[in-house]
Amino acid sequence: MMPTPTRALAADESHRPAVAYCRSGDAMQDQASLIEAHIPGLRRFACALLRGDRQGADDLVQDCLERAVSRWHLRRAEGDVRGWLYTILYNRFLSEKHRQRRRGVPDALMEVAEAELPGVEGGQDWALEHRDLLRAFAALPEEQRSVVLLIGVEDLSYEQAARVLGVPIGTVMSRLSRGRERLRHYMNETSMGTSGAATQS
Amino acid sequence: MRPAGRPVEEDDLHARIDGQLPRERIEDVEAYLAAHPEEQARFSQYAQQRLALRAAFSAQASEPIPNRLRVAHLLAQQRHQGRRHLAQIAAAACLIVVGASMITADAIAAYRTFSVEVRHPVEVDAGQEAHLVQWLSKRLGRQLVVPDLAATGFRLMGGRLLPAEDGPAAQFMYENGNGERLTLYLRTGVGGETAFRYHEEGGIGAFYWSDEGFGYAIAAKADRDLLLRVAELVYRQTSPDGARAKIPPALEKPS
Repeated sequence: MMPTPTRALAADESHRPAVAYCRSGDAMQDQASLIEAHIPGLRRFACALLRGDRQGADDLVQDCLERAVSRWHLRRAEGDVRGWLYTILYNRFLSEKHRQRRRGVPDALMEVAEAELPGVEGGQDWALEHRDLLRAFAALPEEQRSVVLLIGVEDLSYEQAARVLGVPIGTVMSRLSRGRERLRHYMNETSMGTSGAATQS
Repeated sequence: MRPAGRPVEEDDLHARIDGQLPRERIEDVEAYLAAHPEEQARFSQYAQQRLALRAAFSAQASEPIPNRLRVAHLLAQQRHQGRRHLAQIAAAACLIVVGASMITADAIAAYRTFSVEVRHPVEVDAGQEAHLVQWLSKRLGRQLVVPDLAATGFRLMGGRLLPAEDGPAAQFMYENGNGERLTLYLRTGVGGETAFRYHEEGGIGAFYWSDEGFGYAIAAKADRDLLLRVAELVYRQTSPDGARAKIPPALEKPS
């Protein structure tokens, strides 16, 4: 895959890949620290999107970062690096999903296989402690999961979340409201000892 | 006794637990919750869930970042690949250039044919933009976005469907206040991602690029700088990263 040097060609339209900009050490340092500050958050977001598949989540983050690094010069100069990175990650997630759909991986099957996964796997105590909640979270539809995470965990503003997901703010609010209610419903059912998923949407 | 402001809604109650409630709303919202214990209980459950999710996810934040996700590593890898695959890239570029020159030639031919039309420059005019987009998206099999070129003085006249080598193509036509016309030609099923390439033929200039399975060409009897500005504007509005990141027209120079 070749990085896309979209603006580099003002002076020269030859097919030169824009992989080798001469950057000063400082600029590189700057880029690294601006991006790396958001890696833990990007990993959480990817993990939430992929329902706890840690390996797949890191692949998605890597894909996002490769794109961010090769398009660094295209970001909004004064802008919100975090929102830009989350947007790239979400777009990569969506296009991967479309690709799988085109390849004929049935959606329903994917959903079931994924839903079997607890939110975060591993022997860690914290994972056990929060297993029920994370399982309920993993069972939310993707659109509600993204919103609940970006707002409740990543502290994005409603406007930022709307930009990242490419939807109007009203949609963000209704997904947030439905996601939280659904989570509450699951948790209440679990604590009452009944199983079965909420069917409301 | 009713609070003075507008009625308290679901959104306000979420904003309260997310710390996004404007200060002037706090009093109204607190009064509302005091008067509605069932809402109070529901939202305190949401708030607890929210904290528990943060706790569950926060452990991940303290994990070390694997080397493959470190920016220095990614940059080094990119440079390395840049050198190692130069030959392959050059070979791939040849193929892409062949594809590009065909699309560019088609785009220029379509511009030449339709930009001079006085009565029928487009099949569906901008007055029915929603229909136009829906129709062409359906025919091309992908959701299309009609870029807004107002920043360069061009406004949409409409569009048409065109036959292309292996499927349909779409042409959107724009016009500025001087009656100069410009077209955006696009086709789907184009592989790879390429940079902007410029081509000129018989006084008509065109920028071509491909992204996310689309091949794009901007054509007009205009100078290169204007075409490049339009091409950048279109790229920003059509590429998912560009569109949502809202990158401004003034691009900074790579340092």
